[in-house]
Amino acid sequence: MTQTDGSPFAPHTAAETAAMLDAVGVDTETDLFDIPDAVAFDGEFGIESRSEQAIRGELRRLFARNDNLIEFMGRGHYSHYVPSIVDHLSDRAEFLTSYTQYQPEITQGFLQALFEYQSMLVELTGLPVANCSMYDAATALAEAALLADRVRQTSGHRIFVPEHLREGKRLVLENYVDGAGLVVESYPMDDGNVDHEALAELTDEETAMIYAENPTVRGTIEEGLSEVGEIADDNEALFCLGSDLVALSLLEKPATVGADVVVGEADVLGLPTSYGMGLGIFATRESFLRQVPGRLVGVSEDADDRRAYTLTLQTREQHIRKERATSNICTNQAWVALRAAMHIAALGPDGLVDLATDCVRNAAALAKQVDEIEGYQAPVHDRHHFREFVVHTDQPAAAITADVEAEGYAIHAIDDHLLQVCLTETNAHATDGLVDAFQEAA
Amino acid sequence: MIYDQARYTEGDTHEPLLSEKDATTVAVGETDSPLPEELTRDELILPGLSEPELARHYTRLSQMNWSMDSGPYPLGSCTMKYNPKFTEDVAADRNAAIHPDRSADSAQGNLGLLYGLQEYLATIGGMDAVTLQPPAGAAGEFTGILVAKAYHDHHRNDRSEVIIPASAHGTNFATAAMAGYDVVELPSDEGGRVDLEALKAAVSEETAALMLTNPNTVGLFERDIVEIAETVHDAGGLLYYDGANLNALLGRGRPGDMGFDIMHYNVHKTFATPHGGGGPGAGPVGVVDELAAFLPSPRVRETENGDYERFKPDRSIGKIHGFAGNWLVLAKAYAYIARLGDEGLSDASAKAVLNANYLAERLEMDVPYGPFHHEFAATAGDRDAADVAKRMLDFGVHPPTTKWPEMVPEAMLTEPTEIESKRTLDTLAEAFNNAYSDTDDAIETAPSRTTASRIDQVSAARNPRLSWQSLDE
Amino acid sequence: MSFDVPDDLSYLESHEWTTTDDPVRIGITDFAQDELGDVVFVELPAVGDTIEAGSAFGVVESIKAVSDLYAPISGEVTGINEDLFDQPELVNDDPFGDGWMLELEPSDQSEFDELLPAEEYRDQIA
Repeated sequence: MTQTDGSPFAPHTAAETAAMLDAVGVDTETDLFDIPDAVAFDGEFGIESRSEQAIRGELRRLFARNDNLIEFMGRGHYSHYVPSIVDHLSDRAEFLTSYTQYQPEITQGFLQALFEYQSMLVELTGLPVANCSMYDAATALAEAALLADRVRQTSGHRIFVPEHLREGKRLVLENYVDGAGLVVESYPMDDGNVDHEALAELTDEETAMIYAENPTVRGTIEEGLSEVGEIADDNEALFCLGSDLVALSLLEKPATVGADVVVGEADVLGLPTSYGMGLGIFATRESFLRQVPGRLVGVSEDADDRRAYTLTLQTREQHIRKERATSNICTNQAWVALRAAMHIAALGPDGLVDLATDCVRNAAALAKQVDEIEGYQAPVHDRHHFREFVVHTDQPAAAITADVEAEGYAIHAIDDHLLQVCLTETNAHATDGLVDAFQEAA
Repeated sequence: MIYDQARYTEGDTHEPLLSEKDATTVAVGETDSPLPEELTRDELILPGLSEPELARHYTRLSQMNWSMDSGPYPLGSCTMKYNPKFTEDVAADRNAAIHPDRSADSAQGNLGLLYGLQEYLATIGGMDAVTLQPPAGAAGEFTGILVAKAYHDHHRNDRSEVIIPASAHGTNFATAAMAGYDVVELPSDEGGRVDLEALKAAVSEETAALMLTNPNTVGLFERDIVEIAETVHDAGGLLYYDGANLNALLGRGRPGDMGFDIMHYNVHKTFATPHGGGGPGAGPVGVVDELAAFLPSPRVRETENGDYERFKPDRSIGKIHGFAGNWLVLAKAYAYIARLGDEGLSDASAKAVLNANYLAERLEMDVPYGPFHHEFAATAGDRDAADVAKRMLDFGVHPPTTKWPEMVPEAMLTEPTEIESKRTLDTLAEAFNNAYSDTDDAIETAPSRTTASRIDQVSAARNPRLSWQSLDE
Repeated sequence: MSFDVPDDLSYLESHEWTTTDDPVRIGITDFAQDELGDVVFVELPAVGDTIEAGSAFGVVESIKAVSDLYAPISGEVTGINEDLFDQPELVNDDPFGDGWMLELEPSDQSEFDELLPAEEYRDQIA
């Protein structure tokens, strides 16, 4: 570092600054600003500049104020082990510090990686069109509802979501659809899964979209998704299915059950627990191609007849279509998608399916163990489970959660007498401790 | 400078796709499956490669990719500046890798950082309250307009229009439409700024907000900003600030002091978080006191005993992201601001403006609008801006944003930022000038030194193939 | 640059042309296709739809632009040029012939009087 004041990342020496000012014909930088005195700021922010070393220490101490808990948490944000290679490859500056591929000739590397990511989603969902990212599962769901509103094949203003839908997702959805005059309504669950009869009764020709999740936010695996697809069809509504990359490798393929759009969490792979930062899936049918939000990478040829990748169908997007764009999305989660693709590639299909299978097997085993503790009944829902399950507690859930936290474990309390526990390979080593803590807390 | 980008060519492709290196079929849910057959898929076909093969695959892809660390990236409106490496280490702190549903008591570290960043941004922007939830600038715009809408609804004011300058970023228009508003486009005056008379004619009791960036998209400061604010406020509307160009104002001017009621920040622009090939970024939103109650939930505040807690603003619009936004990006932004401090932030804007002016001085192209600040729109005149840009690639620089805004024909919207040295700016100017004065043939057939030569956009759009599966069809 | 402007057609300021028979044929002009650049996609209504004069009946897209298509006259759609789905370039190559877009059965003959004759359209684009 040659500078001692000013921005540590502006490389100007005094001599260079002087030469530049001279070339431009002014005495100081201030002369270049055209800000009227009435609105000029000449105060201080009161932000003291610290060295890199000092800031690292400061924030290390700050983050250490987080309690050191072993988390058994899920409900839309999950922790799977991310292989080291994902960090090392995605952190390469050529990827991390690059920008949107507006000049594709010079950014073939990232474009190909995103094309590969799209392709993996096509395989996992069975739907032929997948974009290269949305912010998260909640906003992806919201965009799906807006797509349902735009496509010619549907009409109506009602968007149906499961009654157990995570509140955060519902609130995001409500904000997005408000401008389009759509209304979000719930349908009941039957022992953790879609109540088909009730859903069929509620939906009508005013239904634009039906949303279901597999696994659900409570971890239950859906049975009879095809029936949901049929109900949607009968009412000329879109069937939107939410899932995640690991679950998709094992559970029923969305295309097979009639899903028109697939959304959900792609950050389950590639991102470790990150305080809720996400990556949204968006995949759909060919016929909706021109209504898809977000960026799409396509294949073409260059002037030397070599295969080349490029962002395509950009006329859907805001920089060309402005207020008639499919969405206002511009910057998305591209680098997170790169990591997810790397993680999928690192696992390979065998590794991915094994991981998914463990999510079923291990959840069942832990539920059984918890069920044997007096004062706890698990799983609450008589269904197969993926990663997580709900527990009924005789004692108030809030009290148990607090006690268990004091013992070093973090779980969800989702109702007065309901807890939720999520198990992956990252906390599997601590299940006995959790069970002990439950026993103590009862 | 001559530039040759890496190119791994096999036949008529560059690096083969993962699927062309391996495609393994796994029969799912057969022996030993914990699930009945009808609840699983039949098979999964994905590439299964060894770690060394993956290391090669992605390393080679990275070599065929331009980045901030490769060389200049003077994209107007994007503020591509150096991403300090220590911020990566800060964000990777293992103690910060917690679930967002953790109790506030057990998450004091993360809540402390969020609170600190809220405060930093509020001060820098001259705002009273900040939300960190929006995961990108466009999401911030949407949040801000929803806040405006909630404010008007609360006051039982039925307003249907948002006014936006014709030169504004496309996201502004799309945002207004998403929120259910009609857009009223505002022309600029001869000097390239908001036409005050046109604005006065455009505001009415239908006006919910005016969205502006300042300096505007050709780098000009809206000198009449006080009168603009008055005009909008007198009509009962709110003034929204698009923070894309905040880098020009750091320490010199604050939107809050100019009469803006709502603003968004692009932390991946002004506060140097890495662009990651198209994201993730973050678009925090700041508002004046009167609007704080409408912000998304939860926000973070300090308690009496110095702890941090989450709270729901009284009339919150709800949520704009499933959780708390792009956490890792926010952590990096905090670290950057802490590194720069008051002096660094002011110096950043000073050097950004100096660099832009110096670069423009060196260019042979005309710059029709001025005095500009941190970015300028040069015009390629009777040459095609997109072609000139392609030729610049051969000279080892990323070209500027082209053909926008429309008020400058054959625009080359250029923003070098403060991180470029004089030497680099001279090289960049040379690349601009060489491309600009090159032969028609050279610019029409460019680029030739990059991984790919000129790509056929038309056939990509006419016949979209968006997956490796589509290549077999 | 001189553009083709056939005399036997009527025009809209927004660069659509129409024949004057029954049913009419509608498309966009040579000038329009040149402005747009290579057409990549055309969105058309369905046969049987009713269109109002002056309203948008579809969309034409190139790489860099999207334009609404405006109906010169009102009527019922009796035909659409399905070739445009696979060969949108027909709009560029033969805008007045094989690049036609729509066939309409006019519902109000008086609307033809509102259209621009060839000389006026020629003047407009000059």
